[in-house]
Amino acid sequence: MEILRIEGLAKIFGSGHIQVRALEDINLSVSKGDLVALLGPSGSGKTTLLLCISLILEPTMGKIVFDGQTIFQKNGWAGVDMRRVRREKIGFIFQSHNLIPFLTARQNVLFPLDLVGMNGEQAESRARELLEYMEIADRADYLPSLLSGGEQQRVAIARALANNAKLILADEPTAALDTTRGKRVMELLKKIAKENQSAVIVVTHDVRMIEGFDQVIHLKDGRIETEKTNAQN
Amino acid sequence: MDLAFYDMKQHKGRFIATIFGVGLLFTIVLAMNGLYRGNIDEGLALINATNPDLWVVERYRGGPFNEQSTLPEFYHYSVKAIPGVEKASPFIYYSVERLIAGKSRHFSIVGYDVFDGLGGPQKIYAGRNIQRAHYEMVAHRKLGVRVGDRIPLGLHTYTVVGLTKEAVSTDGEALVYLSLPDAQEVLYQKDNEEVRSQRERLLRTLSGQSYLSQTQAEKLLAPLESDTHIINAVLVRLKPGANRPMVARLIEKWLYLSAFNTQEERQLMLKGRLAGMTKQLLLFRTLLMIISVTIISLVVYTFTMEKIRSIAVMKLIGAPDWVIVRLVMEQSLLLTISAFLFGVVLIGNTYSLFPKTILLVPGDTLLTFIVVFAGGILASILGLWHALKTQPAMALGG
Repeated sequence: MEILRIEGLAKIFGSGHIQVRALEDINLSVSKGDLVALLGPSGSGKTTLLLCISLILEPTMGKIVFDGQTIFQKNGWAGVDMRRVRREKIGFIFQSHNLIPFLTARQNVLFPLDLVGMNGEQAESRARELLEYMEIADRADYLPSLLSGGEQQRVAIARALANNAKLILADEPTAALDTTRGKRVMELLKKIAKENQSAVIVVTHDVRMIEGFDQVIHLKDGRIETEKTNAQN
Repeated sequence: MDLAFYDMKQHKGRFIATIFGVGLLFTIVLAMNGLYRGNIDEGLALINATNPDLWVVERYRGGPFNEQSTLPEFYHYSVKAIPGVEKASPFIYYSVERLIAGKSRHFSIVGYDVFDGLGGPQKIYAGRNIQRAHYEMVAHRKLGVRVGDRIPLGLHTYTVVGLTKEAVSTDGEALVYLSLPDAQEVLYQKDNEEVRSQRERLLRTLSGQSYLSQTQAEKLLAPLESDTHIINAVLVRLKPGANRPMVARLIEKWLYLSAFNTQEERQLMLKGRLAGMTKQLLLFRTLLMIISVTIISLVVYTFTMEKIRSIAVMKLIGAPDWVIVRLVMEQSLLLTISAFLFGVVLIGNTYSLFPKTILLVPGDTLLTFIVVFAGGILASILGLWHALKTQPAMALGG
């Protein structure tokens, strides 16, 4: 089942004579349980594409269909509450973990649940379950500053999974980790894609980390240079 | 989820230090409120406690408190003769600085007709009122004397027969009540040597006049010597049913004096001696409030800026604006309210240690709280503005 479809997406910054074409003619289709890698050098448009998929940056043209609902088409955003879509359907994993520093690991996972109105024992149980799944339950009441980089990233993944996100966007999730921990995080993302049936899009520089991905998309100068599917790997 | 609470829990030390610092500022604001009220209360205390129907003073003078007023003592007989006047009592009031129990003390003396005259102490809380024409005094407890103490003033020693705790002088110092002749003596009686010396000087001047014989000069000496039968005001009680404005007009028209009722006497003080200090205190209070709100604003802004990446993350994962608004505003209001409560508790426990009277009025505290609360909301605006315009994209990248 298709979760995300992007057709002819373009993003142009500036106007008149000074225009920067950050993205051009991007076409993409991501289904449930897909693991997608976005590769490319700096300035290739990876972050811009991620911002468009995150519903933060308005594309200049093209179409975005998310979970069967047209979110963007050539006339602009289709009157959707973007923050609501993000909090209910998209999970985010960041390069620098971005846990809220004054909340414990458990509270960081509870936060997105609180945003969708889930609280009390139900939310506590869900947070506990996710932290156990990430094998970090014994550190549940620690502040992020007392956790290692790998532990923080696992809490961040638990937070991204809290609302059963249909799409997980991971921005360089292994950049701040050593190779062993990085591989472990990637294994976790693969596990999530398979077991939770969430689509996972990972932006990365590191080609060593993308083994076993369903799609690998190379971006260059805002265009998809090459695209490999699992069958071609 | 109460994000503000968790943030403050993590930064307890900084929050407590800020509450302490801003709380001290609020303490000063509340002390200024109390000082303002105390200044007015003390300035009007003697007027309110004496409260005659009319205060008769020297013409075109705003006496006897706001401005000096001097009248010959016998004028009270003239005032008594005005239709509608039941009683007219001589009254004298002046400030002195004398040694009391070995310490130099500044206080004011009230001289009044102790035998059924107006202007004496209203309530005696220890001892009794003055019952003799001479050498007895009633003092305010601020003077630090006890009943039975013997206090030398001028040429004589006075026994403290009673203590009051009501009226103080217009500048907040202790009051001492004496009989009128005693008060006049303390104020005007000169040292014997000085009296002799002045008499000699006057006699020499008179003797030098070719149209006066030595005997005539000596006869003129006594009437020309300075008179000590001077008063500052005449206090009037009217007959029942007498028309106060009419009696005042008669006194002004026929005796060439000025007459004020107690309300007018209060206004003279409020617009005169008390006005400068009142404006000064109002200015200080306003400045301190602005400083307090500015400090809270900067503290909240700093706290918000430190959390700006977390705020971007919250927005990215879909937190609605009200979650961010609540985080910033709750911290601002908690800081403001906690600092204010700290100020209220501190001033409530220390106001008696201030040298000037701090009169804490609940209405003033409530009004200050409302201003502070509005200030707290205002203080969070800068932080809020920055938080709300933070782009969620800021959360992405390293």
